[in-house]
Amino acid sequence: MNFIMKKYLLFFILYSLLATSGNAQTISQIIQSHFNGSYENYSQYYMKDDKIGATLPPDKFASNGFFKFDFNHGDFSAGFQLESYLPSTLGFFPIPADNKSKIVNKYFKYTQKKFSIQVGDFYEQFGNGLIFRSYENRQIGINNAIEGFKATAEPTSFLKTKFIYGKPREIFDYANAYVRGADAELDLVRLFTKKEDTKITTLSIGQSFISKYQEYTGPLDNFPKQVNANSTRIDFASNKITLNAEYATKSKDPHLTNGGSMKKGNAFQCSGDYTMNNLGFSVIFRSISNMEFKADRDQEYLSISPLNYLPSITKQHDNLTSNIYVYATQIKGETGVQSDLYYKIKPGTTLGGKYGTQIAVNFSYNNALNDSGNVLSFGKQKYSSDCGIDIKKKWNKKLETTLAYQNIFFNGSLQVASHSNVIANLIAASMLYKFANKTSIRFKVEHLFSDNDKKNWAAALTEFSIKSKYTLFASDLYNYGLTKNHYYNIGASVTEKSTRLSVGFGKQRDGLFCVGGVCRFLPASYGFTATLTTNFGY
Amino acid sequence: MKIIKKSIDFIFFIKNTTTSPKKMKNTLLLALLFISLKGMAQENLPSVKLKSVSGKIIDIKELANETKDTPLVISFWASWCVPCISELDNINDELESMQSIKKFSFFGVAIDDARTTKKVKSFVKGKGWNFDVLLDENSELKRALNITDVPHVLIIKNNKIVYQHTGYIAGEEVNLFEEIKKL
Repeated sequence: MNFIMKKYLLFFILYSLLATSGNAQTISQIIQSHFNGSYENYSQYYMKDDKIGATLPPDKFASNGFFKFDFNHGDFSAGFQLESYLPSTLGFFPIPADNKSKIVNKYFKYTQKKFSIQVGDFYEQFGNGLIFRSYENRQIGINNAIEGFKATAEPTSFLKTKFIYGKPREIFDYANAYVRGADAELDLVRLFTKKEDTKITTLSIGQSFISKYQEYTGPLDNFPKQVNANSTRIDFASNKITLNAEYATKSKDPHLTNGGSMKKGNAFQCSGDYTMNNLGFSVIFRSISNMEFKADRDQEYLSISPLNYLPSITKQHDNLTSNIYVYATQIKGETGVQSDLYYKIKPGTTLGGKYGTQIAVNFSYNNALNDSGNVLSFGKQKYSSDCGIDIKKKWNKKLETTLAYQNIFFNGSLQVASHSNVIANLIAASMLYKFANKTSIRFKVEHLFSDNDKKNWAAALTEFSIKSKYTLFASDLYNYGLTKNHYYNIGASVTEKSTRLSVGFGKQRDGLFCVGGVCRFLPASYGFTATLTTNFGY
Repeated sequence: MKIIKKSIDFIFFIKNTTTSPKKMKNTLLLALLFISLKGMAQENLPSVKLKSVSGKIIDIKELANETKDTPLVISFWASWCVPCISELDNINDELESMQSIKKFSFFGVAIDDARTTKKVKSFVKGKGWNFDVLLDENSELKRALNITDVPHVLIIKNNKIVYQHTGYIAGEEVNLFEEIKKL
């Protein structure tokens, strides 16, 4: 714990003594200081199950804890995050972090209306994240906060600028590299019109720049120690139409996972939507080539200190069976499109009923690039496709049903070279019934039809809730096509305001676990789990 | 109940932070603080500016200042979160009738990141939701308010968070409305 942290601590202690001995409200009003924070814990107890391939790790008990604390006094704020891994749960880090607790993030920030300055660890994103995004994802174990300095300035109503400098986090430490960058966005609507009631709500152009420097001691003469990335974007929005386009380039960036390739990287993304009352249509196209951008060129794992964010552009499903074949971005090169249509059949019509019927249709397609340097050259190899429809209907205040169909194509060779392609069809139906006095029951059944890989799967889930506070759940995912394995789970949860505790027991299959488009391979596991989340200070 | 909750928090916290005697001391102090601070009110909301699907740029601090003693209800959600969508569908069905009984403002905050944020506007319009939704693409507001998971709903009155709830279980919208009516 460094000197600054000790000072914070001392202050917090004095404050808390004052707060507990006197009238907390009055004191907090006098010194105009406020606190808030949160705590999250995810723990697992592992047991052995040979049938599903769940082996025992050296430690049977694993636990990830996150304690975050923020303090604010007028325009100043400061805070920290303490993380503990006793040790980390399986698959959270490539190699489990052992019995370690550390204050990993700490910051001090001063905010004014037109500018802000932050020293310490910070998160930021430029544009769509094609060249830079620092963020945290606790479920998958990503935290690439930058330790250093960040400033934002809005000198006029039509110009926004950001500057960053620092070292990206690498698990408990920092990568041996420096990142610096700037981003500017010019709002053309505010520049040329004074009126707020213009029909065009957004018309802006943005430019970002990121440069990474990492020392090189190898034998090559012209080895690029510095990697630069640039991106340009444009945004347009009116009441009915939104359009966005971004083009990014990256200079020569030889690193471990691209085999030291000296190829430059580039990416192009454009998206648009059209909306009316009860109707929405959106489409996104993205093509990337050699865009893997990491803080540490020697890092083997993508999920450790990435600098940019390239999620897979496929729909994120919540079915137990649709998460068996999930597509992960082919970061070396891919081109893809995704589209969604949302429509609500008006309430009061024959098909709409009292509350209206909601329909969602989705389509996504990902392909190889023909020429890896050209993001507009579409190759012949198909990586994935997914199309489906969801119909949700609320019949009355008590009954609600959903029906879903999905067709999946998955290129098996992306995971293991010898694997064949998978074509699967999936149907899912669910029903929610609310009794009086806030008690409800939910049922869901699913079936995945496939002649490939592990063939057919079936799944069922039920949830029983009492007083909108306690929930009991049980589910089973059964592969009857090949392995005859059951992956069952039972559990309970209790929620009180902002605190939630849930416990479970069961089996998890191995496979890619993706959150927000970033995936990690999780080994099979069997045993108990417990999750606690809470926040405080309000 | 409160005491049990605090003890659970404390045990989990201590369990996870004991490595060296020095760390032990520091974390013990922090844990004590954590307990002593529970229940204190946050009276200043952080200044975080977000764009909404209707094209406005909204600063949450200013929004809370403007709404004054009219309850401001903010629901954090994501287009991939099924319970969030159920909650907002049910709130949307009753929103007009609730607001005719008790005046309050309602906003959604979508924590969808670059993967799905581009579809949020068409999602909201296609659902026929009658409220504005702010886009928290890099979880800036979510983090500033110390929200861990979605769905998470907050009621703000006179610049203060007076109620919050995490998760959604069918019927929770009735509890939420009861809380709003109390104010």
